[in-house]
Amino acid sequence: MVSLLSGVILGVAAVGHSALDGVRLQGAGATFPNPLYQRWAAEYQKLHPGVKIDYESIGSGGGIKGITEKTVDFAGSDAPLSAAQLAQMGGSANVVEFPACAGSVVPAYNLPGVSSLNFSGEVLAEIYIGVISTWDDPKIAALNPGAALPALAITPAWRSDGSGTTYIFTKYLAAQSVLFSRSIGTGKQVQWPVGQGGKGNDGVAAIVQQTAGSIGYMEQNYASANHIAFGAVRNRDGEFVKASTGSAALAGESAAESLSGSILAADLWNRPGTGVYPIASFTYLIVYKDLSNLGDPDGARALARFFWWATHDGQAVATELGYAPLSPAVRTRVEAALRELTFRGRALGLPGK
Amino acid sequence: MTTAVQSSPRTFGRGDAVLGLAARGSALCILGMLAALALVLLAAALPSIRTFGVGFLLSTDWRPNEIVGAGLDAAGNEVEVVSPPSFGGLAVIYGTVVSSALALVVAVPLSLGAALFLVRVAPRLRLAGVLSFLVEFLAAIPSIAFGIWGLFVLAPFLQHVVEPGLKSLLGDVPGLGWLFTGTLNIAGEVVTRPIPLTGRDMLCGGLILAIMVLPIITAVSRDVLRAVPRMQIEGTLALGATWWQSCAAMLRYGRAGLFGAIMLGLARAAGETMAVTMVIGNNNQIEPSPFAPAQTMSSLLANEFAEASDGLHRAALLEVALILLVMSLAINILARSLIVGGGPRAAAAH
Repeated sequence: MVSLLSGVILGVAAVGHSALDGVRLQGAGATFPNPLYQRWAAEYQKLHPGVKIDYESIGSGGGIKGITEKTVDFAGSDAPLSAAQLAQMGGSANVVEFPACAGSVVPAYNLPGVSSLNFSGEVLAEIYIGVISTWDDPKIAALNPGAALPALAITPAWRSDGSGTTYIFTKYLAAQSVLFSRSIGTGKQVQWPVGQGGKGNDGVAAIVQQTAGSIGYMEQNYASANHIAFGAVRNRDGEFVKASTGSAALAGESAAESLSGSILAADLWNRPGTGVYPIASFTYLIVYKDLSNLGDPDGARALARFFWWATHDGQAVATELGYAPLSPAVRTRVEAALRELTFRGRALGLPGK
Repeated sequence: MTTAVQSSPRTFGRGDAVLGLAARGSALCILGMLAALALVLLAAALPSIRTFGVGFLLSTDWRPNEIVGAGLDAAGNEVEVVSPPSFGGLAVIYGTVVSSALALVVAVPLSLGAALFLVRVAPRLRLAGVLSFLVEFLAAIPSIAFGIWGLFVLAPFLQHVVEPGLKSLLGDVPGLGWLFTGTLNIAGEVVTRPIPLTGRDMLCGGLILAIMVLPIITAVSRDVLRAVPRMQIEGTLALGATWWQSCAAMLRYGRAGLFGAIMLGLARAAGETMAVTMVIGNNNQIEPSPFAPAQTMSSLLANEFAEASDGLHRAALLEVALILLVMSLAINILARSLIVGGGPRAAAAH
């Protein structure tokens, strides 16, 4: 019934758009960019009614599993492919991995009477290890001269489910504190010694909103959308920077130099530069370089053009939803990578240089 | 008319055979599904069973990531030491047992009281129908609704009213200090600190579970008590028993069935997932205080399964699921045998 209906709809659409009709593309993966990908899919379908894009936010791990087993056409992941995962997909010669946008992780807090706070990587690490346990700790006071810090216990909140957000946050903290890297380590899920876990961004947000004295890490756009206060973090140049789409995009810009080829992955935490937010990261889209797994050339062409649109016109939507857009230098490299996409060895007709 | 009567025995005979086969097939099908479930879980959990053995049941470690630390090799040179991921189920088994026990402590007296009321008092007041319906309705509320209520109503109430009240009342009582302090392992050093009272803790998990198991314990207890022969009650009253004494005799008569009802509640509490996940704090730790966050087996699965892409992590989660299945099965078999097959009295009570 559904397929019959969509057949009728696609048939009607075929009148206006002859080249890319009746195409259905399936993606799966990271939850963090899910709102953006859903909007992209909807906007793109408005422009190209024959192309239907479905994205299932099942988590980065699930997305990578799906693309490796070729059960989905493209995958989204917050962490870049590991060397082993890349090898399972046939090595870097067979894969295109590129950033779709950037995001940042913020230390959100609930501290009655305190409207702005500064953090540093070491202080955040020590809070999450449990070394710093009250808000009036001298190390916090030193970063916040003049702030009236209460003698309140700190309740650190973290993600109880595996998450790219945890991956980014622990990577940053481990880079800032030897104690953290040796006692907690990094990963999508770690064993936190103190505090409590919430499932999903909303679980962490609920803990922070309900508990005076709590601190929790979450995506900046989530904190902003829910009006949860978050602190500035000291960057590599010693400035205190609050996360924004601008300061995260600067982090991406500073990594552009290190991007080349078809695997465009770079760590964005603790990048140097003025105004750069230090806990930022790209979120990636992953496809096979030769899209013959899609089965038909129209599908391959549609996917390549969707990616092109998403990393160009689609970036305005990203900014609107609180994701950091790709800077021009990064986008140039994404363009080069997307031009490498083929279907059975044939180029897909993306705009030239 | 007559032909229909004449032909009816043959039709019925064939129908009997078909129904008999269908019923047998369905029963076997259900058994087969259970066996398949257990086998699949066992097979999927094998990597974890092989790696950790019995130690899985004794370890509280639950670390899905590897840690690269510094150490010394045999010659005394500083080298990188990689600690591989490590899994143990003790903390979540503890969480499940304690939260379920807490739930029963709260729910059993309430349920038995409600069941007695439904059987002995409500009929006289013509309330039995309405109240029974309401109790059964409580069982039909989806788990997530309890979870949201727990997270946004119960937990803040515990956090702002109950727990600070208890702390100011009991905090200075000698011997009760453990209620409000916890031990932490901070980078290898064990320290004792006051537990921040957040309302999302073992207590809240236990209370949510209590509310969720109330309907099943009440409904089964009501049926058990209703089945107590009228002569038993009239006999006690004839011997001069007070209302309370006759109720006690009634409870004593149905005790095997009532115990079964409680076990059914326990099985539900042990397997309950979403609501607990939302209010228990999700920290894999063993803390004696009910005010510390904890984790149950099912909440662990709800939290971690979706993103557990690493083989051993997945296997360890499936081993937890297997343990949960075996536990629930054992509790259910015990409960059923008490209600249905537990001697003539229990049989009468059903």
